[in-house]
Amino acid sequence: MTLALDHLPYPDSLLSRLDPRWKLAALALATLSVALLHTLTAAALAMAGALLLVALAALPLQWYLYRLSGLALFLLLFVVVLPFILHDEGPSLPLGSLRLSWYGLRVAALLSLKALALLTLVLVGLTTSSLSATLKAARSLHVPGLLVQLAMLSYRYIFVLGAELSRLRIALRVRGFRNRASKHSYQTIGHVAGALLVRGYERAERVGHAMRCRGFDGRFRSLAEFRTTTADCLFFVLLVGGAALLLLIEFLG
Amino acid sequence: MSQDTTARQNLPMQPELAIGVQNLTFAYPGGPVALDHVSFEADPGESIGLVGPNGAGKTTLFLCLSGVLPVKKGSVQLAGLDPTDAAQRRALPAKAGIVFQNSDDQLFNATVFDDVAFGPLNLGYPVHEVKQRVAEALAQVGLTGFEQRVPFHLSGGEKRRVALAGVLAMRPEILFLDEPSSYLDPRSRRELIRLINNLTVTKVVAAHDLELVRETCRRVLVLDGGRIVGDGPMRTILADARLMEEHGLEVPHSLTRHVDKHHED
Repeated sequence: MTLALDHLPYPDSLLSRLDPRWKLAALALATLSVALLHTLTAAALAMAGALLLVALAALPLQWYLYRLSGLALFLLLFVVVLPFILHDEGPSLPLGSLRLSWYGLRVAALLSLKALALLTLVLVGLTTSSLSATLKAARSLHVPGLLVQLAMLSYRYIFVLGAELSRLRIALRVRGFRNRASKHSYQTIGHVAGALLVRGYERAERVGHAMRCRGFDGRFRSLAEFRTTTADCLFFVLLVGGAALLLLIEFLG
Repeated sequence: MSQDTTARQNLPMQPELAIGVQNLTFAYPGGPVALDHVSFEADPGESIGLVGPNGAGKTTLFLCLSGVLPVKKGSVQLAGLDPTDAAQRRALPAKAGIVFQNSDDQLFNATVFDDVAFGPLNLGYPVHEVKQRVAEALAQVGLTGFEQRVPFHLSGGEKRRVALAGVLAMRPEILFLDEPSSYLDPRSRRELIRLINNLTVTKVVAAHDLELVRETCRRVLVLDGGRIVGDGPMRTILADARLMEEHGLEVPHSLTRHVDKHHED
């Protein structure tokens, strides 16, 4: 099964050598800034900046584009209708009974750029430090321990539950089930979702038992050791400064 | 119940025992009694097979012994620790480890190294000690070089060995193995048997795979309906056709009387 987070490559790069705490803090602030953008120029600049980070992180291009295309396809389902349903007093192009608005097109482009830039920042964060180092960095940045554990277990069990779902789908298919727009199909999908939830709950309980048997007391521990260097501070200042600059451009523009 | 068990039940618990269980009774909330006056003892280094039909209470017994499920009736001692005492229960993971039936329940870190290191880190060992324990445990299960592999991309046999390494890295005095051969192919199963036999700690192996029990254990407990209904030397118990049949089990093929002698043992 291939998911967005599957097979994290962890390439050796300029960014992978940085202290995960500084990197996580800078990327979190940059992500927040990108989420706040509302002009196309700023979003395009953010995407350009994110691509620069991809280059600095030495992410395998094919791996990166594959993950990006998954989100792009998902986005397409929503943004493709925006130019036809969002209108203002600005120019528009009549297309038969529909009207393609320039404003709607800009909103669609803005949403797409922001989403792709956000995913890029997340991927850069996940692939330039090991997950345990990132989680320990999050903990040392005072992210609540419960959230850190949830992140760790979610990452792990996305795959286990995904595999469970695959098995359930195969079990349905071999018994002649085909997804159709019928009451029977919807009922079956509902039962599968229910079975997955129940199995997920039971598994969570067993995982909890296994963790306690290995001395887990609710605190997250990792072997990762952190040391701040000038490069870490420089990266933080540049990334956060860049993000602040984008917000300033918007404010002034 | 065999005479051996009855005799053991009447003995006072001895501090040098690896496992001492007396009249352990447990019921899940709103459910029937899962363990009913279970009593047995194990000496350090002893290797015990725990057999019984589905729902006999084998996993529940392991969870009670390891302090995961609360022991309210009866008494339990593992390596001198009492799981009913909160402070002693916290020290229990360093003394007793469980390898669960489904390795996916046990492996949750991003790399094999992180997963094996999880237990020693929780026990508070320094970095160099953790690294040494991880290296030793992986070597013990024959997975040196797998440190940076992703656990959920391993084969069933490799996952089982990583799960075992995760417990061995804590260097427990007592090891509980729950259905260790499930999901394993014959080669992985053979390797696992060799591995279990090389471990010198006290072992309790719960299994439906009676051939595995025959090869790894010298004593066998039969659990059915939450009660211990048989306790004795491996050959005596496993070759007892009536006992086995009465409790939903069967005599392993290698211990059956052969008309046509097609193997040596």
